[in-house]
Amino acid sequence: MDSNELYSRIKSILIDQFEVDAAAISMEANLYDELEIDSIDAVDLLVQLKELTGKKIPPEDFKDVRTIGDVLNALTAQ
Amino acid sequence: MKYVDLAWRFIGSSFMWFFFGSIGLLLSLFVFPFLFLFVRDPNTRKVAARKLIAAIFRAFMWAASNLGVFSFNVTGMENRDPVGGQLILANHPTLIDVVLLLSVLPQVDCVVKEAVIRNPFMRASVTTANYISNREPSDLLNECVERLEHGASLLLFPEGTRSTIDRPLRFKLGAAEVAIRSQAQILPIIIDCRPRFLAKHEPWYSIPAIRPHFNVRILPPMPVEQVVGGRLARRHARHALNDALVSLFSAELS
Repeated sequence: MDSNELYSRIKSILIDQFEVDAAAISMEANLYDELEIDSIDAVDLLVQLKELTGKKIPPEDFKDVRTIGDVLNALTAQ
Repeated sequence: MKYVDLAWRFIGSSFMWFFFGSIGLLLSLFVFPFLFLFVRDPNTRKVAARKLIAAIFRAFMWAASNLGVFSFNVTGMENRDPVGGQLILANHPTLIDVVLLLSVLPQVDCVVKEAVIRNPFMRASVTTANYISNREPSDLLNECVERLEHGASLLLFPEGTRSTIDRPLRFKLGAAEVAIRSQAQILPIIIDCRPRFLAKHEPWYSIPAIRPHFNVRILPPMPVEQVVGGRLARRHARHALNDALVSLFSAELS
């Protein structure tokens, strides 16, 4: 799965499940401050990304993740 | 006279910690391995391990209060459901909150730091007692909900770590999320220790000027539906419940 496809999957998860406003989503959008994702959502998101890509972002690494771009980087870094 | 009292409490504390550490080591070496050998059924083993842990914690509390290191009292035991199924939430001012609570609530489930599970002195006891590991955040939530759904009572410290002194109370959302997903009754426990004792970033040998007293109040159960009304979406519900919990605890502690 390339990063464009991954980006659109993350986008649809955010819109469908976390009621995030589609217009607010960009690579630079801060998950916590701008998109109002909380820690429980973040855990949910991690589980779904793992199911989607087979790749797991370790919880330690996810602590440094702030934007959607960071999520993509963390997933493609492995 | 004041210095005699301080010195006595220092000696008492030192003795108490030494005794506690030795017992933990002895049990890990000589008792828990035999529990594994001779008790085949994991559930019986779990119950036995928890009884043993509670007995040691009771001995610790007894020794500490008789040596005059600190005193404590617990009220509201009638609010606890002895059958189980309650989500027990407590604030976490001191290092020994879990010792105090498990000494009076022996068979509850609780969450243990991964570091404790890997600690050779404690590994055998916490694994035999089948406590929950905090290693994987997603597994942790599911495991907590599952235990409650199977009728166990579960103890959580929603702050996630000891309270930070002089900072308003903050809870992690996980506790509220577990409450909403499990629909379990919440049993709030207020731990008020004065003066400050064994707090975060405070070493065990720092002895307060007067003998600390733990006032532990088990409040009447707080039904989840009453707070969230059953209408809000789950993510709004957990924030609403979390806010309600923080206000309840802050009010009780002020």
